[in-house]
Amino acid sequence: MIGLISNLISGVSLGSVYAIIALGYTMVYGIAKMLNFAHGDVIMVGAYICFCGINYLSLPPVVAVLLAIIACTALGIVIEGLAYKPLRSAPNLAVLITAIGVSYFLQNSALLIWKSDPKVFPSIIKLEPIHCFDGQLTIGGVTLVTVLCCIVVMVCLTLFISRSKTGKAMRAVSEDKVAAQLMGINVNRTISVTFAIGSGLAAVAGVLLCSAYPTLIPTTGAMPGIKAFTAAVFGGIGSIPGAMLGGILLGVIEIFAKAYISTQFSDAIVFAVLIVVLLIKPTGILGKKISEKV
Amino acid sequence: MLKVDNINVYYGAIHALKGISFEVNEGEIVALIGANGAGKSTTLKTVSGIMHPRTGKITFLDEDITHTDGYKLPAKGLAQVPEGRRIFLQMTVMENLEMGAFVQKKPPQEDFENVFTHFPRLKERRSQIAGTLSGGEQQMLAMGRALMSHPKLLMLDEPSMGLAPILVEEIFSIIQEFHAAGTTILLVEQNAEMALQIADRAYVLESGAIALSGTGAELAQSDAIKKAYLGG
Ligand SMILES: Nc1ncnc2c1ncn2[C@@H]1O[C@H](COP(=O)(O)OP(=O)(O)OP(=O)(O)O)[C@@H](O)[C@H]1O
Ligand SMILES: [Mg+2]
Repeated sequence: MIGLISNLISGVSLGSVYAIIALGYTMVYGIAKMLNFAHGDVIMVGAYICFCGINYLSLPPVVAVLLAIIACTALGIVIEGLAYKPLRSAPNLAVLITAIGVSYFLQNSALLIWKSDPKVFPSIIKLEPIHCFDGQLTIGGVTLVTVLCCIVVMVCLTLFISRSKTGKAMRAVSEDKVAAQLMGINVNRTISVTFAIGSGLAAVAGVLLCSAYPTLIPTTGAMPGIKAFTAAVFGGIGSIPGAMLGGILLGVIEIFAKAYISTQFSDAIVFAVLIVVLLIKPTGILGKKISEKV
Repeated sequence: MLKVDNINVYYGAIHALKGISFEVNEGEIVALIGANGAGKSTTLKTVSGIMHPRTGKITFLDEDITHTDGYKLPAKGLAQVPEGRRIFLQMTVMENLEMGAFVQKKPPQEDFENVFTHFPRLKERRSQIAGTLSGGEQQMLAMGRALMSHPKLLMLDEPSMGLAPILVEEIFSIIQEFHAAGTTILLVEQNAEMALQIADRAYVLESGAIALSGTGAELAQSDAIKKAYLGG
């Protein structure tokens, strides 16, 4: 029983990281209607910057994390402006290939700058673990902070999207770019802001991920990126609560599969569940499709 | 107020507007009529900056807007109710109206009330998701949304499309109410008969060029129009 709870908590924690990454995929997809496959690599860049800030510049961890967030936000805006904006009216396939290209570009730049030897990410979360049930169950500090971050991000983002003017503009652009423009919304700027937010969140995810799994190499972001993308599709791509739910479910399924079925097959099981869900509900768990009235 | 001067507009290789010129003066209702594919919607899209002409010039309130980004135009007093309404289907009625007022900091309550006096039916449905409104209600919402920006020139692309005759009458009388309240109107219509009735002046588009122009009354009497658009 305690084992089950402990696994559940690990799953929710891993899932929280997936969820934060998935938010970036889903927001960009919802607004720019593109899959930004380079998103996973922004995570890696964020983690490296935080690593450098602490190890080489001896910055306090909080400042290093902020630096990583700011750098990734800027990186997101630059990637969007240089690589994707010129392709706004190009076929989807061209944009997809470009995104894969950006992904390789980031990985190889990281290889050039930081070399291939793994870096050990410093432990920056110094929270004491919590012991429950007379010490039978231990919840690590990283786990707690990760879940907490996820909740804060979710609440802030939901409020931002539903209340703020920019958030409403984002919803309008995601529904209909032409109509949004007719309302006086600067569509390009809105897309840029979306990339900025998504990439800033990627930096947060990078720090959390490397705090839990402290080995940092240039391909660190690739697998979590793909899993988070899966989570976004799982929850219903384009839907913010969907990304959250998808991420957490994916994390829990992965940890349970590892613990109770097979470590080697855990990824296969995760993707098998995705396929089953999409067969039953092609738009994902919370995805919806509104038909237009003519 | 609006002056379109010899514009040529292309969709890739397709030459959709071939040297169109027309004018809308302050306080007028001007109708743009023509068969399917004549280029009416393309004209409105070009004026609102969704597309840009390859050659020619568009002036709005003495300002050259030929190559101005479309999103800057609502703030200058231009609004369009686009073809097919294009309301935000996943937002509520109120949110759609708020989007209409996007260029203002915060729309005053009177602006919403103003829309609701023209369209009482929207008031009952203010928190309903727009995608669940009937086609007629969606048209009302599209018009109300455009009104929220206090346009000086309101362009409507086939507001009567797909509506029952009784509702068409209602929509046309509301367009006249907007006009009476001081908004200049550029109206694109398939329903030439009704459009010519309320228009001060009208232009007839034929395969991307202006074939005829005149006052609404003149055109309604013209044999060519009767034959082509009014069914003999
Ligand atoms: N996106 C597009 N790509 C290519 N050609 C287009 C596009 N949109 C319109 N056209 C072409 O431009 C011409 C004018 O189209 P437009 O939509 O302006 O006609 P319209 O007068 O509004 O017709 P309707 O009454 O059917 O709405 C048509 O021949 C049409 O096929
Ligand atoms: Mg049309």
